[in-house]
Amino acid sequence: MRILVVEDDEIFRTLLTQRLNVECYAIDVAKDGVQGWEYASTYEYDLLILDLVLPKLDGISLCQKLRHAGYTLPILMLTSQDTSTAKIMGLDAGADDYMVKPFDEPELIARIRALLRRGSSNPLPTVICGPLSLNSSTHEVFYGEMALTLTAKEYALLEMMMRDSHHVFGSDEILESLWSSEEFPVDATVRSHMRRLRNKLTAVGAPPDLIATSHGRGYYLKILDLSTSTIAPARETPNLVTGNSPIEQSKSNELTQQTQYLELLNDTWQKHRSTCLERVELIRSTLDSLHLGQLTSPIQAEAYRAAHTLVGTLGTFGLDHAMRLARNLDQELHPDLYLEPYQAEFFRSFLNQLQQQIEQTLYIENLPTMVEDRPQAIEDSKSKPLQPEIRVLMVDNDPFFLETFPQYLKPYGFQVLTLNDPRQFWSVLESNHPDVLILDIQMPQINGFELCQGLRSVDPWQKIPVMFLSADSKAETQHKAFSVGADDYLCKPITAESLSDRIHNRLQRIHSIMN
Amino acid sequence: MSEKCILIIDDEESIQTVVEFGLKMTAGWEVISASSGNEGISRAQADHPDMILLDVMMPEMDGLATFRALQLNDQTRSIPVIFLTAKAQASEKRLFNETGVNGIITKPFNALELAQQICKVLNWTE
Repeated sequence: MRILVVEDDEIFRTLLTQRLNVECYAIDVAKDGVQGWEYASTYEYDLLILDLVLPKLDGISLCQKLRHAGYTLPILMLTSQDTSTAKIMGLDAGADDYMVKPFDEPELIARIRALLRRGSSNPLPTVICGPLSLNSSTHEVFYGEMALTLTAKEYALLEMMMRDSHHVFGSDEILESLWSSEEFPVDATVRSHMRRLRNKLTAVGAPPDLIATSHGRGYYLKILDLSTSTIAPARETPNLVTGNSPIEQSKSNELTQQTQYLELLNDTWQKHRSTCLERVELIRSTLDSLHLGQLTSPIQAEAYRAAHTLVGTLGTFGLDHAMRLARNLDQELHPDLYLEPYQAEFFRSFLNQLQQQIEQTLYIENLPTMVEDRPQAIEDSKSKPLQPEIRVLMVDNDPFFLETFPQYLKPYGFQVLTLNDPRQFWSVLESNHPDVLILDIQMPQINGFELCQGLRSVDPWQKIPVMFLSADSKAETQHKAFSVGADDYLCKPITAESLSDRIHNRLQRIHSIMN
Repeated sequence: MSEKCILIIDDEESIQTVVEFGLKMTAGWEVISASSGNEGISRAQADHPDMILLDVMMPEMDGLATFRALQLNDQTRSIPVIFLTAKAQASEKRLFNETGVNGIITKPFNALELAQQICKVLNWTE
């Protein structure tokens, strides 16, 4: 695999090159953007590692220029700029991945491996060709049960042939992929490496023509049953380190399963990301109808279903933030709820964030962690004791609201305390210790924002969930609420069911974070 | 554990893929998929799976309707069914409870733990 590093910081460049050499990659370096362009447009690379800030031509412009000229190689951007804007600019310019300096070296290497695998015809870390197996994460190679000790170049040669086992590799192609342009290798170099690799293979019992020569064309891997050139299911993965205890082995199986699951999630995500975006568009057109006062029940039901499906799908891919945004929409668009045109704007802000999250997720980096509730057999839930009531303190100056809502909320397991004079807020708070606060914004004497700000600066109340409930649906008001420390913002009118769901979600989230 | 055959009925293709992968890899079970309630009912009649994972929210015929249809059919009545749902609210759970379904698994789920969850809900012993 051949990588071009475009980086102007000499110390960093040297360190990176040395590290990548250890990983058996052939490295070319360019010291500025213009040189980067010259190299990238002249030679074939499997990956480009690009600094953002470069003399002559910056990383973003170089990235755009390459993409514009039709180069599709994976690009990994490295930079010390940690702002989300910088990341978005980099990714939008055509980068495939983005890492902020200083970074964790093993993570960088793992990301490089992942990007390189994507370009190969077999995008999985473990490659198996008949009796040969190679693990690119550990660089271990086995022929049957026998381990092979290979040099960096021998390993790279074998990996290249194993990843594309139907292909005949010419000397030129091998030289271009595995040797950097400064090494000036010749055909004889390839021949001598091939010879040594063959010797090592025959020494562990492989047939002498496992690496076969097609005269005038090049080298290829001669495996009788090429259909086995695939990843091995966990159960059949060869025991990588001989003498493993059963526990270690089951751990390593678990690890292999997780790695392969992550790979599958990534593959599936690549295929289905666009479907998720289509669902976002469907919801968007529903919000347009809502805004124009033309929302009908079937349209609302369809948008609800789209949001609901997104919750399940995004969650299964481990995209928790996106899932929560979808869940908000799912709750707000429930077919039983009556929606007002003015709410469209508020929902759009969720939807835009959701769309952004989906668009920016190019790779699934981590396996989903399950913090939601566990599965349950129906029989169990029947005998479960009722949960203790959740104590809610509602501060609002609308007497009608304060009179009706506590009754509505009671069946959902809430005990609601009400307060219409915010001046008594602190004493009521101290004597009642509620689990959740629901604040109105516009109140005489003290407004909700001031109360929230006060809470966030006093120790025992810093973490209490605060939800604003207001008829004001303006984006700036909501923004202000979150900036003073709100956990959620809800618009009146709201149904008790919807409010109950939001409170439960909020508490569930806090509970899961604390555990 | 003996090899099981699971039918997943979900209109989301990505969920089908993930479920199939998880159950095959961790438990070695056979997985068949259907993308709609109607398709699911005919697969259940034809293939007699050991259990059915049924998505609640599907267009046209939803999970509840599909479940009722499965219950009314002599060939499929005895097949255990677990609902797959992104709903976690108590009110919804009560509603599902009344249908007589065997259990609920909430989305999102980790496909690597799914086989274990199914065994637990259905009391399948290893």
